[in-house]
Amino acid sequence: MKKLISSRTLLLAATALALVGAGAARAEDTLDAATKARIEAFEKGPATIDISKYPAALKDNYDLFSQKCTQCHKLSRPINSDYCLPSEWSRYVKRMMRKPGSGISSSEAKQIYEFLAYDSSLRKKASIDAKLAKATPEDKTADEAKIKEVHDKYDGK
Amino acid sequence: MKLNEPSDCCPKPDAEPAATPACVPVWIIVLTLVLLFVGAIYFDRHSGWGEPAVYAPYQSVEQLAAYQPQSGDAAFVARGRTVYESVCGLCHGSDGLGKPGQAPPLAGSEWVAKDVVSLARVPLAGLNGPVKVCGKEWNLAMAPMGAGLSDADLAAVLTYIRSAWGNQSSPVSEADAKAARAVINGKAPSAEELAKLPPPERGHAVFKKYGCFQCHGPDGKGGVSNANAKTAEQVPSLIYVADGYNKAELLAFISRGERVIPRMNPSGQEPPHFMPKWGGIVTTNELSDLAEFLFSLKPKGDKLDF
Repeated sequence: MKKLISSRTLLLAATALALVGAGAARAEDTLDAATKARIEAFEKGPATIDISKYPAALKDNYDLFSQKCTQCHKLSRPINSDYCLPSEWSRYVKRMMRKPGSGISSSEAKQIYEFLAYDSSLRKKASIDAKLAKATPEDKTADEAKIKEVHDKYDGK
Repeated sequence: MKLNEPSDCCPKPDAEPAATPACVPVWIIVLTLVLLFVGAIYFDRHSGWGEPAVYAPYQSVEQLAAYQPQSGDAAFVARGRTVYESVCGLCHGSDGLGKPGQAPPLAGSEWVAKDVVSLARVPLAGLNGPVKVCGKEWNLAMAPMGAGLSDADLAAVLTYIRSAWGNQSSPVSEADAKAARAVINGKAPSAEELAKLPPPERGHAVFKKYGCFQCHGPDGKGGVSNANAKTAEQVPSLIYVADGYNKAELLAFISRGERVIPRMNPSGQEPPHFMPKWGGIVTTNELSDLAEFLFSLKPKGDKLDF
């Protein structure tokens, strides 16, 4: 009888422990589980951009982008990211550039930003339109002006 | 001669054997009573009288109580444990044994047994530089992770630490925690003084209160080393966060923290410092002020043209 009680108690305790353990593990995972999943989804996408139809002048920018950004993460991360507005890319490129040891100068950062803004305006047009539809009028005007600026600079070159 | 007639050839039995009333031997009664008595004592000692909390191998409520933390009110200690698991446990471990390269043990630590002010100074003001714990040298930086706790929560978590894992120091009352905080934060501005300041200055007080400077350097200018961190083995400076984050992104990052710091050499050591998860520790208003302070750090005239 005693044996029966103790083995049942053990079983219960083990189940409870397993549940608590799983709960704790999940709590730790949620720290940035959403962010992690988001990044992993981006990284599963294509890792190159076909720039054969882009202005030739953007090739250097693309090379710089491929070289600098892969120091720390896969190129597929920014390529498939849901960032698409010039304001988002501006912030994101600056954030990366300011990481100690990034080796990205401000002029290089600008070239990378221009490539990403130009590329998004073609490849991520639908997301841009969706985001701008929800943006404030000022933000919308600012982003549209930035898209125009980068096209004016590179189109036909 | 008929067959069924009794014959005279053999002697008649005197009588058929019959059951006669007989006394139960006294020794059986005594034995039964003794067994019942012993059984009752056994039941009393081992059953817990049907109390659901008592189960094998525990035998009584008293015995179960002996295994609980020795001092303090049970609910108070339970509260301390909850605080511990959410604020301290990630580094010091649920078992209080600490983690090599991250946090010294609390179980059996002489620091835990010190007076309340000395002990409370660690969560309230942080601890930087070499210390000796359980005979081993530790040289790390701990942010004042407990600065945001209420006096009651602080007292509860200190009481928990002082009574768990075999530690046997006296409980800490809310009044003790309040007094210790007053000694340690003597010069910190009061809530009334803070309310009069503009948000960036309030944020500066938050930056000091939670010890952000311990890793991000005085006024967020960086320069604190973080061995094998991909960010040039340094904890990043904060003076350019205005370039890289909008307010929502910054608050989300500070709240979430960054537990895993990318390594410079992937097979090298884990960088000792990481960004703690400040959500739930720093209050929402403080976070907002903190963001304003960080945005104000950007050097004037340092503008990028994109």
